[in-house]
Amino acid sequence: MSQRNGARLAALVLLLGVGVAFGAEPKEWLERMNRALTTRNYVGVFTHVHGGRVETLRIIHRVRGRDVSERLLSLDGSGREFIREGTEVTCYFPDRRTVLVERRAPDGPLLGALPAIDDASTQVYEIRGGERERLLGRTTRVVALHPRDEYRYGYRLWIDEQTSMPLKTQLCNQTGEVIEQIVFSTIDLPERIPDTMFKPQVDASNYRWFRADRQVASTVSPALWEAMRLPPGFRMATRSAQSLPGSSEPVAHLVFTDGIASVSVFVEPRKPDTQPAEGPARVGSSSAFSTVVDGHQITAVGEVPPTTVELIAKQVKASKAAAATEGLGLAPRRK
Amino acid sequence: MNEERDSQLSAMFDGELPSAECELLARRLTRDELLRAQWSRFSMIGAALRAERGVALHDRVAWRVQSMIVQEATYGDGSVDSASTTRTSVIVPASELKAASAARWMRFARPVAGASIAAGVAALSIFWLRTQDDSQMQLAANPVAESIVLEPDTTSALVARNTAPAVEARTSNGEPERYVTPAASSSASIVPPARLANYVVAHSEYSGPLSRRMALLGLVATDPSEAPAMLDEETSQQAGAVDAP
Repeated sequence: MSQRNGARLAALVLLLGVGVAFGAEPKEWLERMNRALTTRNYVGVFTHVHGGRVETLRIIHRVRGRDVSERLLSLDGSGREFIREGTEVTCYFPDRRTVLVERRAPDGPLLGALPAIDDASTQVYEIRGGERERLLGRTTRVVALHPRDEYRYGYRLWIDEQTSMPLKTQLCNQTGEVIEQIVFSTIDLPERIPDTMFKPQVDASNYRWFRADRQVASTVSPALWEAMRLPPGFRMATRSAQSLPGSSEPVAHLVFTDGIASVSVFVEPRKPDTQPAEGPARVGSSSAFSTVVDGHQITAVGEVPPTTVELIAKQVKASKAAAATEGLGLAPRRK
Repeated sequence: MNEERDSQLSAMFDGELPSAECELLARRLTRDELLRAQWSRFSMIGAALRAERGVALHDRVAWRVQSMIVQEATYGDGSVDSASTTRTSVIVPASELKAASAARWMRFARPVAGASIAAGVAALSIFWLRTQDDSQMQLAANPVAESIVLEPDTTSALVARNTAPAVEARTSNGEPERYVTPAASSSASIVPPARLANYVVAHSEYSGPLSRRMALLGLVATDPSEAPAMLDEETSQQAGAVDAP
């Protein structure tokens, strides 16, 4: 093949590639976006709107092989920061002079078993859009994830056509009401991000530290708990046992997902000297619900409506196998 | 501080001060503590105004401050390795701001940007657009440095109002023309807040990229007044607090 023909072929392949990319279905845009968010280096400043408040935050995300580092910090008021480096996750709360430190498993799911959009997801979300729209001076693809029932929230996404990064994200309830919004004002996609950008901006040496120092013994199995019934589309994604600050015993962590949203259920033996926690809670747009089953504190947390976490939390029971393995630390106590 | 300087500061905040006077005032800000305090007060006023319907700061000043923040983000504490600094850049359009002016702004804005000014800019930044010739997305294994430069988002500037139900005037594509997000419901909970924070952090590790960010934002962006019991003394013992890192 002559050099000229080779160049023509290369150009044709490139054009086809671009054509395929720009003609992608909404679901493909979502997958591209998820891939970009998890595998690219980026540094961005965005505004976050929730509950009538506007706040500016910066996010720094770096991927080096399987090592994911992330820093999310509030540029306004509270100066709160979340930093993940390696297996350690640290949250700084300057407004409370407090620091939370948690340790993750080295083979955590951040690059692997994250919820994936599949055919089951399309049963519970209507995925539509894909049209071009100019936003913030860029060409974007608008993709809407509309929930088909009341058990999950929807999303509207403006995905940058060139980089697949979401420039604007809206979290909506089933009626389409915007309950949370993120809009980037800048995004850099640098080749390298130095370690210095993952250092906290506060001196927390005099803060109170909540730390999970101890790794959970691998003999503890979280498989003793299960959800008897789940909202449509949700399935078990993973189980793990992990240590949390303040827990002398391991905490069972069950994760359920519908491919977009996920709900975590935490099960831990209730301390005899504490009041049982029962009822709903909210952290931002995340919902939580706590209940007590067989002497264990059960709390479901997720970016879903309150009814969903309540339903799941109330459906978590000790599995039949639990009775036979009682005494491993996570089995329910028999009265 | 005399009235005239106060007025100048106000004009600068509104983006109405001539460029030359801006530079002068910016230099003064670096050495005048009272002036900086007044600047902070102005930004607090801006924050208060943001709680009102349809209030937005002038986009030019917002853009300038935002650009400082971006520069700081890009270059960190100055110890960025050479690859990063050479491959990534935010270039200011000459028509918007002269380079010399930007440098001076940088000097004054860095210490100030840490304050709450940034909240006032609310997606009003304007940046030069630069993308590499190679427009195909390449992942971290073979990344290409890019700067995405975004223009103002006019819808986001009109966001905040606390209590009203959502206004659903929609454009042809279903996008609301303006947003009035509902106020956060009560965060009252029987769950110890520190424990709840532990759960949210642990949960975020298993969330998809989108929901993960939303979960973490609940922790990082939550207004302190919304969670008065967050990590307070009562929960310290229960959550395993220690006094040193």
